[in-house]
Amino acid sequence: MLTSELREVLVEEDCDHNAKKQTPGCPRPTPGKAGGGCAFDGAFSSLVPITDAAHIVHGPIGCVGNAWNNRGAKSSGPLMYKNAFATNINNNDVVFGGEKKLYQAIKQIIKTHNPPAVFVYQTCVTAMIGDDLGALCKAVSEKTGVPVIPVESPGFIGSKNFGNRLSGDAVLRQVIGTQEPKAEHPFNFNIIGEFNIAGEFWEVAPIFDQLGIRLICTLSGDARYHQVAMMHKAQVNMMVCSRALLNVARRLRELYGIPYFEGSFYGAQNFSNSLRQLVEYFGDATLKEKTEALIAHETAKLEPQLCALKAKLKGKKALLYTGGVKSWSLVGALQELGIEVIATGTKKSTEEDKARIKELMGEEAEMITDGSAPNLLKLYHEAGADLLMAGGRNQYTALKAKLPFVHVNQERDLAFAGYSGFLRFAKQLVFAIESPAYAWAKRPFGAQS
Amino acid sequence: MLDENKTSGETLVVEDHNQIFSQPVFVETFKNKAAFECGEGAEAVAKQLDYSKSAEYKEKNFARSALTINPAKACQPLGAILVASGFKGCLPYVHGSQGCVSYFRSHFNRHFKEPFSAVSDSMTEDAAVFGGNKNMAEGLKNALALYKPEMIAVSTTCMAEVIGDDLNAFIGNAKKDGAIPTEFPVPYAHTPSFVGSHVTGYDQMMRGFMFYFTKDNAKAAKDNGKINLIPGFDPFTVANIPAMKDMLSQMGVEYTVLGDNSEILNTPMDGHYQMYAGGTTIAEVTDAKNAKATFTLLPDSTSKVTASCVKDDWEQEFVELTPMGISGTDQFLMKVSEITGKEIPDSLAKERGQALDAMADSNYYLHGKRFSIFGDPSYVEALVDFYMELGAEPLHIVVSNSTKKWGRALQKKLDASEFGKQAQVHHGADLWHLRSLMFEEKPDFLVGSTYGKQLALDVGVPLVRIGFPIFDRHHLHRYSTFGYKGVINLLTWTVNTLLDDLDRKATFNNDFVR
Repeated sequence: MLTSELREVLVEEDCDHNAKKQTPGCPRPTPGKAGGGCAFDGAFSSLVPITDAAHIVHGPIGCVGNAWNNRGAKSSGPLMYKNAFATNINNNDVVFGGEKKLYQAIKQIIKTHNPPAVFVYQTCVTAMIGDDLGALCKAVSEKTGVPVIPVESPGFIGSKNFGNRLSGDAVLRQVIGTQEPKAEHPFNFNIIGEFNIAGEFWEVAPIFDQLGIRLICTLSGDARYHQVAMMHKAQVNMMVCSRALLNVARRLRELYGIPYFEGSFYGAQNFSNSLRQLVEYFGDATLKEKTEALIAHETAKLEPQLCALKAKLKGKKALLYTGGVKSWSLVGALQELGIEVIATGTKKSTEEDKARIKELMGEEAEMITDGSAPNLLKLYHEAGADLLMAGGRNQYTALKAKLPFVHVNQERDLAFAGYSGFLRFAKQLVFAIESPAYAWAKRPFGAQS
Repeated sequence: MLDENKTSGETLVVEDHNQIFSQPVFVETFKNKAAFECGEGAEAVAKQLDYSKSAEYKEKNFARSALTINPAKACQPLGAILVASGFKGCLPYVHGSQGCVSYFRSHFNRHFKEPFSAVSDSMTEDAAVFGGNKNMAEGLKNALALYKPEMIAVSTTCMAEVIGDDLNAFIGNAKKDGAIPTEFPVPYAHTPSFVGSHVTGYDQMMRGFMFYFTKDNAKAAKDNGKINLIPGFDPFTVANIPAMKDMLSQMGVEYTVLGDNSEILNTPMDGHYQMYAGGTTIAEVTDAKNAKATFTLLPDSTSKVTASCVKDDWEQEFVELTPMGISGTDQFLMKVSEITGKEIPDSLAKERGQALDAMADSNYYLHGKRFSIFGDPSYVEALVDFYMELGAEPLHIVVSNSTKKWGRALQKKLDASEFGKQAQVHHGADLWHLRSLMFEEKPDFLVGSTYGKQLALDVGVPLVRIGFPIFDRHHLHRYSTFGYKGVINLLTWTVNTLLDDLDRKATFNNDFVR
């Protein structure tokens, strides 16, 4: 990638903060501190849920070994994405270059797996030895007729967020707009930044069917290559998790005039509002009525089931440490259940995410940037919290400290999106708070009750 | 979508995702979605899938040279930080880009179900151009201030290795500049991922510790009477280290475990998060030079260089023995007895008898059963030996990270064995190769890590989970695989997996007694 192109991705112009700050772009990590994922991780995890494509990592074995099938992004069809393809770069390749090996490797994938497309991921090593992914992918693609898309997002180039955006840039440049749907439909939209972790996207998908609006593509949960290629046919884009794919939404607006808005699947109110916002773009009165009827029906069904759970959760205090958009969208969901959110993690959040947090939690909102175990525990105890919600790397820390814990990142097994997901979410919170295992842990030795 | 028949409030119904997504509303949605996807039809997919199981496909698959599919190995720094976690008050520190460490932590979190601390000095583009000297100084300083370790063990990622960063010089510079005190211990090792695998990294870092803490000390005139154990990259380290300690204590043999991570990876839920727990002390590793002998329990985790460090610099006997299975454990105990002059006590003979008793109980279900296996070289070799002790027969042996020499030696050993005649050792192969092999000749069961899950499901054989990582089953890592008690654990997992499979597939007779 050219430096100017890279800069355009780094300094996303739709991020308001880039206009204000002296050093625009995403923040840099601190050496010596427990760090998060890299740009490669961001790029790989955001495109791998395109389930029928082959995703090959051009680098040493560790990169793919670590990233292989490590998030619960589910597929309703092809399982190609669950295979780990790699060039397995070794000492010799580092000295003599890895292009030839990559060229062969892509051809071999096409021979053994015949995928509709191949995504090729750059890593630290192959970027540093100067392998030219762009030219090479073009050459194989021309030779084989299979689209081969380079994703130039080596780990060292920046944070996971930045990698998400670089992967978005890759599909924008090479995939979107290359195919057309077979049939026309009056209402088309995309969802951007939803990865179908634990089946989150599935949880809400039937609602769109019921409303009679056509989802062209989810970028990238349970997506197929052809769907991504048709994304330009949408009339509106809904951005959910992670403004990290903001560049995709912005460019689709610029190139094809498709407006976008930010919605959330978490919490009944959030979700209802997002549905309303979505159908507003189609400007169809019947559709709006249908949507209102659906919302009324679903919430009426939900309310009595939530009631008892709410009674148990009211007034509880939660500490939330997660990334990106979940830092605010989950806040809303928790508040809807009557839970007080005492602090939320903002390490992977954008400035806009932070602004939303302030809107929800007030100007004094506590934002956690130091996600180290000791700091989280300190905050938890200082605030007298009842519940910690975070991802896998914090789960076991929390359990040592006897803190009720709810999984909100990619390791979890249950979907929390939409109406039924919200009910499940509330149940999980109650489970965590009422678990007899925690109760036992809190009793002194010998005490039976 | 709310299921109207479900609970209203009082009882909490727990659904798993299978139950949720097999509801008609989702099935309908998936059908609609499939119609829109412009994918190949179900028939074409089935045809292609069948083709991928054919002999013709196998040929194509084995002609692969540049492409690795589903590797059964990880990279060097993963092994390095596992070593570092086993020293008292030690913070594993990786010099290079940050993402690698984040991955490693997740791996160990998910396998051991424990917190795992490790930091990186987050090298970025500037460092790629100018080198990571500045990151090292800043990183060490911050890590010391934030996490208050007693020592920091530095390993590297590919990035630092491609640039050619010199750890010795950089750590020296950091000390000279006052980033950390001069006397603060910082053992280190170069661990490029594009060479070897996680077991190589384990070896490098272990040698880093051995070298760092013993190079300047003269050897004592008299040995300290102890033996040293190097546990190796062991997925069951949490239980195996205590198992070894137990056997040696029964013999009255004193020992030093180098890199004892059995405490830090198994802390109790007592209300306190411990960033450091247990571990080999500096005094112990320093004194390791004066031991009678050093045993490496997983020889793939120690290289020739490490062997010569023990033999030449420490002037000790270096023993490569995996105490797994009856024979493996026998040999280990006899060797310990030979070196220390201590008798093998009756209590261990009793444990041996109990293990043999269990093997006899279950052997009907294992004798003559054929299995495929993948994993790290030493584990695979020891497990193959163990299964052959039961009369099970290895078919396909796939190891991604072995040497050619290892592969040849194992093949030779198997060819000479009554039960190993059908076995083929595939050195440097991956799990996609194994898939072709298993479709060609279907084994009765597969042995390996969670990475074999999809493969086992595809082929339709049960998977006995022994290896790294195990992400999808709980607490197996808390059980030992070493010693006579380990025999019983290995046996239990295997025979019960086979019996579960037998019952699941039974069409006419599900008996109470097996």
